[in-house]
Amino acid sequence: MVSVTSLPEAPGTERPPARKRSWRHRLLRFDLHYTPYLLIAPFFLLFLVFGLFPTIFNGVVAFRNWRLDDPEHAGWAGWDNFAKLLSDSDFWNALYNTFGIFALSTIPQLFLAIVIASVLNRRLRAQTFFRVGALMPYITPVTASTLVFDVVFARDNGIANWVLQVLGYHPDTPLDWHATKLSSWIAIATMVNWKWTGYNALLYLSAMQSIPRDVYEAAALDGAGPWRTLWRITVPMIRPVVIFTVVLSTIGGLQLFTEPMLFEQNPQAATGGAGGQWQTIAQLIYKVGWKNLNLGYAAAMSWALFLIIVIIAAANALITNRLGGGRSK
Amino acid sequence: MKRLMTRSLRATAVGALALVLVAACSGKSTQTESKGDVTLKINFWGDFGLTQLKPKYEASHPGIKIVLNSGEYNAQHEDLQKKLVAGSGAADIAAIDEGFIVQFRSQADKFVNLLDYGAGKYQDKYLGWKWKQSLSADGKTQIGLGTDVGGQAMCYRTDLFAAAGLPTDRDKVSALWKTWDDFIAVGKQYTAKTGKKFVDNATNVFNPVLAQQPVGFYDSSENLQMDGGPKIAFDASVNTIKAGLSANLASFSAGWDQGFVNGSFAVLACPAWMLGHIKDTAPGTSGKWDIAAIPGGGGNWGGSFLTVPKQGKHVKEAYDLLEWLIQPEQQIEIFKEVGNLPSQPALYKDPAILDFKNPFFNNAPVGQIFSGTAEGLQPQYLGKKAGPTRVAVENVLNQIQSGQVKPDDGWADAIKEADKAAKA
Amino acid sequence: MSSETMTAPARRRVRARATGRAPQDTRAGLWSYLWLLILLAFSAFPLYWMFVIATSTEEAVSKSPPVLLPGGHLLTNIEEVFSLQDVYFTASLINSAIVAVTVTVSQLFFCSLAGFAFAKLRFRGSRALLLMVVLTLTIPNQLGVVALYIVMGKLGWNGTLLAVIAPGLVSAFGVFYMRQFILTSVPDELVEAARVDGATTMRVYWSVVLPAIRPALAVLGLLTFVATWNDFQWPLITLGGTDFPTSMVALSDLASGNYVLYRRVLSGALIATLPLLITLFVGGRQIVRGIMEGAVKN
Repeated sequence: MVSVTSLPEAPGTERPPARKRSWRHRLLRFDLHYTPYLLIAPFFLLFLVFGLFPTIFNGVVAFRNWRLDDPEHAGWAGWDNFAKLLSDSDFWNALYNTFGIFALSTIPQLFLAIVIASVLNRRLRAQTFFRVGALMPYITPVTASTLVFDVVFARDNGIANWVLQVLGYHPDTPLDWHATKLSSWIAIATMVNWKWTGYNALLYLSAMQSIPRDVYEAAALDGAGPWRTLWRITVPMIRPVVIFTVVLSTIGGLQLFTEPMLFEQNPQAATGGAGGQWQTIAQLIYKVGWKNLNLGYAAAMSWALFLIIVIIAAANALITNRLGGGRSK
Repeated sequence: MKRLMTRSLRATAVGALALVLVAACSGKSTQTESKGDVTLKINFWGDFGLTQLKPKYEASHPGIKIVLNSGEYNAQHEDLQKKLVAGSGAADIAAIDEGFIVQFRSQADKFVNLLDYGAGKYQDKYLGWKWKQSLSADGKTQIGLGTDVGGQAMCYRTDLFAAAGLPTDRDKVSALWKTWDDFIAVGKQYTAKTGKKFVDNATNVFNPVLAQQPVGFYDSSENLQMDGGPKIAFDASVNTIKAGLSANLASFSAGWDQGFVNGSFAVLACPAWMLGHIKDTAPGTSGKWDIAAIPGGGGNWGGSFLTVPKQGKHVKEAYDLLEWLIQPEQQIEIFKEVGNLPSQPALYKDPAILDFKNPFFNNAPVGQIFSGTAEGLQPQYLGKKAGPTRVAVENVLNQIQSGQVKPDDGWADAIKEADKAAKA
Repeated sequence: MSSETMTAPARRRVRARATGRAPQDTRAGLWSYLWLLILLAFSAFPLYWMFVIATSTEEAVSKSPPVLLPGGHLLTNIEEVFSLQDVYFTASLINSAIVAVTVTVSQLFFCSLAGFAFAKLRFRGSRALLLMVVLTLTIPNQLGVVALYIVMGKLGWNGTLLAVIAPGLVSAFGVFYMRQFILTSVPDELVEAARVDGATTMRVYWSVVLPAIRPALAVLGLLTFVATWNDFQWPLITLGGTDFPTSMVALSDLASGNYVLYRRVLSGALIATLPLLITLFVGGRQIVRGIMEGAVKN
C-alpha cells in the first residue's frame, strides 16, 4: 500500500547539490510533487464528467418532469416520479421478472461453474484448450448469441422444440417459448447461463489453484471422496471468490438488458413480450426513457434499481458467507 | 513477457485486419461525398419505392446525393421526436405515418411550412382528407405532403385456396366474404379441410376492421373511445381466434416472414403498402397470390407523408426533392414498383394506374382495386397517441392467441392497456 | 451421493481413490474428459448453429427435423447483409473498430499512468483517491444512463461516435488492475535507480514501468477490446436510429428491420462475431490469464 504519511520524498531522490541548477531543481521538485496528480488527472477528469456527474445529475432528473416529447412541460416534480413508481404495475412486473430470471440463471450457473472448475483443476492434458474453450461464450457478443438463441427457441421449427420432441415430449401445439413467464424466463436464463458459466468456472479454478496442498491431506484421512472434498474443503476455501461472483452476478443479473431486448419478436418494442412476460427493469427503463420519452420517470426507476441492487448484493454476499458455514472474515 | 506482448499484438492486428478486409470486400462505402455536394437524407420505414428513384434524381441533379435510411416503423417516429426536441440530427426529409401525424402536426413550428415554398398549389390535387391530415390545427402550416394511402383489400393464396376446395377467382372469392362473419366462416371451412391456419394474426383482422369504423381509438377531441370502433374490431378478432384461424405470427417478425415463405397462412389483409413486403419477403411465391375485396368494404389503413424538419441544413434542396417525389410520374413508378397507392385522385384515372396489372399477384388489376377503395373514403381522426394505443391493444390480442389471456377477459385488458398507453 | 449411504466395499473403493492428493495432482480420468467435451460442445453449439444458418437458405431453416450441416449460401447471405440499404453494416463494422481501438489504446495509456502513480508514487491524498477509484467500481452504469444521455445531448454528441468513445476512455477497473500489477511486478529498486540517474517521473514510466507491465497491458487491452466491441445498451441509446451505428446496434436493426430473415440476421451476427473469435484464437491464453489473475487480485 502507498503510504500517505511520509511526504514528499519518493524513493531514491537526492536533491541536486548545486544551487546554480536551481531551475532544474525546481523542475524536479515540481515533478515530484505534482506529476502524480497529472498522471491520475485524466482518469478523474473523465470520470468526473462521464461518470460521477451523470450519476448525481440523474438524481436531479428523477425529481423533475423531463419529457423528450414535451420540453415545455418541465420543472420540479417533487416525489411524483417515485410515487408513480410505487403504483406502477409495469414496474413491479418487471421487478418480478428480473428476479425470476436472476434466480433461474445465477444459481445453476454458479453451481455448474464450481463443478466444472473442479474438473479443470485436475491434472489435465490440453489444459489451455479447455480453458480457452470455456471462454468462447464469454467473448461472443450477447447480441449475436441472443439472435442465435432466438432461432433455437422459435415456436415453429425451433431446435429446442425439436429436442423436446426427440426426448418424448409431444404437445398438441409446439411450445411457444415466448408465451408464458416461465418458458420465456427459462429461455433467457439459458442464454445467461451459457454466457457466464465458463467465465465463473475460470474464476473458481484460479482460486482453487491457490489452495495449499496440505489442506487436502487432512481430508484424505477422513476418507472423503472427491465430491465430498469439493463441497467440504474446496468450496469453503474459495469462499471469498464465491462471494465475489455472487455479487458480480447480482449486479449483472439485475441489469439484464440485451437478452430480453433481442428475445422480442420485434426487438424495437422493448415490451418484453405481448404481456410483458419477460420485461426486465433495465428494459423498462429503456422503454420509459427512450420509447415513451419520459426521462424523468426513467431516472427515478434507475435509482430504484440501484437501491435494489445494493440491497440484494449485500444480502446475497451475507447469505453466501453464512452458507459457506463460516465466520465472516 | 516479450512473447506475450507480441502474441496479443498479433491478435489485435489480425482482428483489425480481418475487419478491414471484410469491410473492403463488401465494396461501396456509404460515406463517400465529395466537396460541394449536398447530401439529403430521407428517413422512412419499410419500402417507399425510393431505391429506383434515387439514381434518377441524382443523375438529373448533379451535386445532390441522396441517402436512404429505412428503419423500424415505431423506432423511426420515436427517433424523429427525439431529434426534434434535441434540435439537431433529424433527416432532411422525414416520412411520417398517418398514425403519428397528429402528434407531429401539433409541433408544426419544428417543420418547414411547405406552403412557404409554394406547396399550396398541390392542395387541389390531393384527396381532401389527406391534405388536412398533415395541416396544423390553425390551418396555416402544412408540414407534409402525402405519399400513399392505404386502401384496403384482401390478399389470398390461390394455390392454398384450390387445395382447400375454395374458389380461386378473385370475384368469386370477394363474393364469399361480404362481411367479416362470412370471412370467419370461410376460414373455418379452410381450416377444417386442410388443418392449417387461415390468417397470419388476429391483429391483421383487428386493424382493417378498425379502419372501417367511423371513429377509431380517439374522437376528434382526443378522448379515448374504446366502446365504439375498437370494440367492434376487437370482437371480430376474438371470434377469429376462437374459431382457431390464427397462425399467431407477430407482424413484421422473423416468424411472420418465414410464414410467407412456408405458406403458414392463406390470407392477409393487405393495404396497398403491404404488396411490396410480400413481394420482397417471399419472391418464391410469385403468381400464387391474388387480391380480392376486403370484407366489410373500404377503410383506410396507413399511408404516409413526407416532411422537412426545420433543423435541416439544406431545407430548400430537401423541398425540391420532396416536390419531385410527389409528381405524378414518380408516384406512378412507386406504385408499379412496390404497390403504394398515390393520394392524388387524378392519378386513379391515369391509364398507367388504371390498367396496371401486378404479375406477382396473378395479374390482379391492383390499380383498379385500390383506387376504388380510396376515393369514397371517410377517414377517421387519428389521435396523438393512436400509434402506441394500437400497439397496446395488439399485444392483448397476441396474449389471447398464445393462451395467456382468456378470450372473454381480453376486452377488459384491452381497455386497461389502451388507457395506459394513452397516458404514457 | 454421500458416503454415509454407501455400502462398505464402495466406501473402501472411494478411500482407495482418495489418496490425500490435491485435485491438481490427481490425473483427470476418462469421465472428466468426456464431461468437459460435452460442455465444450454446448459452448460451441450456438456458434456452430449461427454458422449453419448463415450458410443456409430460408427454406432450410424451417425444416423439421433441423438441417444440422452447413449449406453453400454463405456468400450470398453475406452479400445481402452488406447490400441492405437500411442497416449500414459496412459503416457499423468500421465504427465498431474505431470505437474499440480508440477506447483500448486510451485505457491502456491512462490506466497504466494512473496505476503507476497509485502504486509507486507518493502524493498527498493518494489513499483517499484510490479508495474513490475502488468505490466507483461498484456503481452500476445503469444508474447514470439517463443523465449521460442528457449530458451528451448538451454536448451535441448524441448520435456520434464521441458519445460512445468518451465514457470508455478510462475505467476504474483498469486503473485498479494496473495498480495491482505494477505494485508487485515493478521492483522499487528499479524505480529508485532510475531516480538516482535523474530520470523524471514520465521517464521512469516510459523506460522502467512500461516494459515491465507488457503482459498486463496485453490482458487489459484484450479484455477492453472485447467488452467495448460487445457493448450494446449505451450505443443503442445514443446511436439507435441513426445511419451511423456500431455493429451491435446494426445487428439489432438487422433483426428488427422490414425483412427479417434468419439466415440474414445470423450472417450478420457471424461477421460481427468473427473479429472476437480471431482474438480468442490468437490471444486466448492471455485472456484466460487475465480473468484468472483478476479473480485472485479482487
